[in-house]
Amino acid sequence: MRTHQGIAFRTAYVLTGSAADAEEAAQDGFVKAYRALGRFRRGAPLRPWLLRIVANEARNRRRSAARRERLSLRAAAEARPGDAVPSPEAALLSRESHEQLLAAVERLSDEHRKAIACRYFLDLSEDETAAALHVRRGTVKSRLSRALERLREELEGEL
Amino acid sequence: MTSLEVRLRALGHELELPAEPDLTAAILEQLEGRRPFPWRRAGALALALVAIAVGAAFAVPQARTAILRFFHIGGETIIRVETLPPAVERAQAGGFGMPVSRPEAEHTLGFRLMLPPFHGSGPDRVYVLGDSVGTVILRSHGRPVLLSEFSSAGEMGLKKLTVNQSSVQWVRVDGRDAIWIRGTHTLTYFDRQLGFREQTIRIRGNVLVWTRGRLTLRLEGSVTRTQAIALARTID
Repeated sequence: MRTHQGIAFRTAYVLTGSAADAEEAAQDGFVKAYRALGRFRRGAPLRPWLLRIVANEARNRRRSAARRERLSLRAAAEARPGDAVPSPEAALLSRESHEQLLAAVERLSDEHRKAIACRYFLDLSEDETAAALHVRRGTVKSRLSRALERLREELEGEL
Repeated sequence: MTSLEVRLRALGHELELPAEPDLTAAILEQLEGRRPFPWRRAGALALALVAIAVGAAFAVPQARTAILRFFHIGGETIIRVETLPPAVERAQAGGFGMPVSRPEAEHTLGFRLMLPPFHGSGPDRVYVLGDSVGTVILRSHGRPVLLSEFSSAGEMGLKKLTVNQSSVQWVRVDGRDAIWIRGTHTLTYFDRQLGFREQTIRIRGNVLVWTRGRLTLRLEGSVTRTQAIALARTID
């Protein structure tokens, strides 16, 4: 359970846009998964199955009226352990580049943004992204393709 | 992988995501808190309560619809039905009762109100419905939350919630069973001052119901389950 609770919570957060809803969705998803273990197909990968259940809980909680918490960058001064220390100019350029890209992702349609977030921000596989978004793998591929195309158009001249 | 995909991956590492909660304890509590239908554990007493509830539900013409499941806690019975009966908004139903001072409310209700720690002397007013339900307005996470209390014993304490598309689940408050209801549902109560007439009102917030001693307590508002349980734990 501990192995997967981080990714379950982050996936639910991407889908609900609310930390409180994500916590409950992940919690209820684990409980439902535990009770449904008897129906889990032996030999199948556990993570996509679990993410599908958690994502379903997250969708049930997504209230249309609720304001989505926007994704944001870490504080600039915060360096992660093991990071090489960049020059101040490089750090500034990198941050600006991240901010532009994030703003472009936020302008995408809901389904394109979620596909990008699951596949690249959370590093889910295509199968896991399909499970989380409750769509076929082919749909994930086409959504990602269109979303990337859209981002390239938006960022033309910056790349 | 294209350069854009590489940039997106790198961006993912720079995002400020909320701290991941440790869900282990809450999940184990939910799994341990699961319990069978009341009549399988409590035998004749629960059967009697269910019989009362069925009778009450069918006593209301609008509630004659397929009953799918029962939950019972303290003085509250929750009945899952196929369709919700007609209901009015709370304001039309007379609100929460008469506003009175806390001592007056406790005198009328016949029990001491359980409240969270307050700065100062506590709530200015308590709303008393008939002579059995006391309600105060609290604030949690910047939003108003209603705390209602009534005796778990006796027919007058019987209230029933009819739930259709809402989610109802057993949770735990301080290691004891509680019920969490998410989504729109209706609440029917008996008003002795109106000559035992029933009032059915529509509830749009989420509700947590639990018991403490001989009282049934109920929190209602636009709060999450985690927030409601945390608030419930402070009420004494």
